[in-house]
Amino acid sequence: MSEERSGGRGRGGKKDDKAKGGERPRGGFFRRRRVCKFCADKIDYINYKDVRLLTPFIPERGKIQPRRISGTCAKHQRALQTAISRARQLALIPYVTD
Amino acid sequence: MSQRQYELVYIIAPETGEQEIADLHTQIEQIVQRFHGTLEKTENWGRRKLAYEIGHHKEGVYVVETFSGSGEMVKEIERRLRVADSIVRYLTVRVDEDLRVAQRHHDERKATQARRRTARGLPPEPQPGERRGDMDEEDDRMEGVEVGR
Repeated sequence: MSEERSGGRGRGGKKDDKAKGGERPRGGFFRRRRVCKFCADKIDYINYKDVRLLTPFIPERGKIQPRRISGTCAKHQRALQTAISRARQLALIPYVTD
Repeated sequence: MSQRQYELVYIIAPETGEQEIADLHTQIEQIVQRFHGTLEKTENWGRRKLAYEIGHHKEGVYVVETFSGSGEMVKEIERRLRVADSIVRYLTVRVDEDLRVAQRHHDERKATQARRRTARGLPPEPQPGERRGDMDEEDDRMEGVEVGR
């Protein structure tokens, strides 16, 4: 009897949690390894006129997505920053959206 | 005199006629010639919606010009564009250095790839049927979904 109960409930909860903790001690459900898009795609020059390239890095509000979220490397984030500000000047991308 | 490559993008008010747009282009062409530069490419994107209003305009005609020349020439072109009423906005960017760096990275990567491939006894250029391409694309799609979250 007691075995049945633990088999029913314990499966979803405790046991799996432990297995996850073993994989990555810090836990948290978002643990995909992030790679810089520009390094992965081998994009050498971030063109400010290419809106399709830039939009994934601009969330709804219109701000530039931080590195810790997008996973872009420092070098490419810097290049992205200038590209986005140029595109903004040319009204290709909004400065802010409310 | 130093020759540098520039890229100029300007936005023309949408109510401007075809003739005026052509005139602006010829004006720029003349200035470039006068300063012994070379006009390399002209692209007309046509009407495009602006991401935000600029002086009551919601749309604009985008024109991209690529040319080489001196800084003095750019100064003169920008002065002209400032004076022209139909110009909503313009931006000049010096591109030669960035493109050169990009080209160098590209070449370096090619060279490394060729060296490693020959070391492994493969032809230096990747063949069309090799596995890498498809896998990469798959990965990007995932990336896009997550970033847009």
